[in-house]
Amino acid sequence: MREEKYLLVKTKQLFRGRRRPLSHVNLSSEIDRYAYTNALSKSSPATKLFLAISLLLISVTSPTPVVPIIVFLTSSTLILYSAKIPYRFYLKLLWYPIIIIAITCVIIALFFGYQEPLTEINLLGLRWAVFKDGITLGINIFFRVAGGLSTQFFLVLTTPMTSILLIIRKARVPTVLIETSLLVYRYIFVFIEVMETMHTAQELRLGYSGWLKKIRSTSLLLGNLFIRTLEQGERTFTAMNARGYDGNIRVLEDLPKPSKTALAGITLFAVTLAVTAYLTMNMGVV
Amino acid sequence: MHIMEGYLPIEWAIVWTIIALPIVAYGVYRLSKITKEHPEAKPLIALMGAFIFILSALKLPSVTGSSSHPTGAGLAAVIFGPAVASVLSVIVLVFQALLLAHGGLTTLGANTLSMGIVGPAIAFGVWVIGKKVRLSTSVVVFTAVALSDLGTYVVTAAQLALAQPIAGTFFESFTYFGAIYAVTQIPLAIGEAILAVLLFDFLVKYKGKLLSSMKVIKLPNLRTEKEVNPQ
Repeated sequence: MREEKYLLVKTKQLFRGRRRPLSHVNLSSEIDRYAYTNALSKSSPATKLFLAISLLLISVTSPTPVVPIIVFLTSSTLILYSAKIPYRFYLKLLWYPIIIIAITCVIIALFFGYQEPLTEINLLGLRWAVFKDGITLGINIFFRVAGGLSTQFFLVLTTPMTSILLIIRKARVPTVLIETSLLVYRYIFVFIEVMETMHTAQELRLGYSGWLKKIRSTSLLLGNLFIRTLEQGERTFTAMNARGYDGNIRVLEDLPKPSKTALAGITLFAVTLAVTAYLTMNMGVV
Repeated sequence: MHIMEGYLPIEWAIVWTIIALPIVAYGVYRLSKITKEHPEAKPLIALMGAFIFILSALKLPSVTGSSSHPTGAGLAAVIFGPAVASVLSVIVLVFQALLLAHGGLTTLGANTLSMGIVGPAIAFGVWVIGKKVRLSTSVVVFTAVALSDLGTYVVTAAQLALAQPIAGTFFESFTYFGAIYAVTQIPLAIGEAILAVLLFDFLVKYKGKLLSSMKVIKLPNLRTEKEVNPQ
């Protein structure tokens, strides 16, 4: 009776798509789907790559939090309003890295630094000094990371990985590197698919209904995952060979051309940001 | 051990990238040579890449600005050599930075140096020495993978200590970071090494012909190959 009820609950959860193994890895397939379906997917990938990389570099090199905050707001606006990615999904992507980096930066702010003690806390006879430069460093790093993260998400949520790789191929990067990247990218999803299929099958056969069963099922899953994926991969490779694969993955390169005005606009924006970063260099944070 | 995007000061990011670049370029050369000589190795190469991706996505929070997880690059180094493992690591690190926000594009050089160059080099060194003194394959693979995993973290601890010396001098910070890493990383390294031994055994059975033609395994394992394909 208990097991029947368990099975019912599990089946419902599976159909709602909840409780999958390695949920943060599974987000990758959703990212991949959004990259093809978002509102900006028709615009030139070269422009998007240029925008993302210039924003990223400016954000990472800037000495104060001003420019990273502008970068974060810009790319978040682009993601939510121009590309029309649902804000729930964007938050789902952001919250984990942001929480980790927030904890990190609190630790930095409290423990780092040696100039100008700001306050001293008396902890049961133990004196703890919080320094001004430690807090500055913590705040700077937090916003630098947030700015960098948002530009990376902008790139990956609006541009399919294959178009990014095609742009890189045009820049005369060795074909073997592009080919291996395309294969690795595909195989990551094969891995995830195989894992999900096996996990669903195990769960429907009550493989995760108890502590011992859970361990046994997990070890079976891990043991067979690699074998299954290799088999699947070999079959893909055979199929590619049968269709005349010679080491070049040829795709129709009808990528939209970057417009000159857009490129000029991005350059102008980047230069403005760089100047802002330079002007606010000596601004105190605390 | 992926250092987060924007965590390293830009000068360190540039230094690590410049150090890593020539080795990765050599790896691309090796990779194109291997895929020309053994086109049938391509699925296995791509699979090793995906394997590194999945393994190093299983992260635990650890030292400030970084995390603790298995790397998976050691096994790739044993099979395809350290240079190819470094190329695979670069590819995986880019995908992880973009898809999982794990690591970053500006910290790519630093992460490549620890996970893609020093780790695989240690694994390959142990593998070559172990084969010379004729230890059993399982023991050698276990030691190679475990040591490469730990070596990766020693390098990351040094990189973090150079970038943000938390405890005053470089050496004090280095021991401090190393001690925090050791808590999570030693069990993880042992687990990864056991997994690698199992996978290597499987590959010897299933792809013995390919591995011996790539000169990864020699005489003692050829017997296994004959048992599988008795012709």
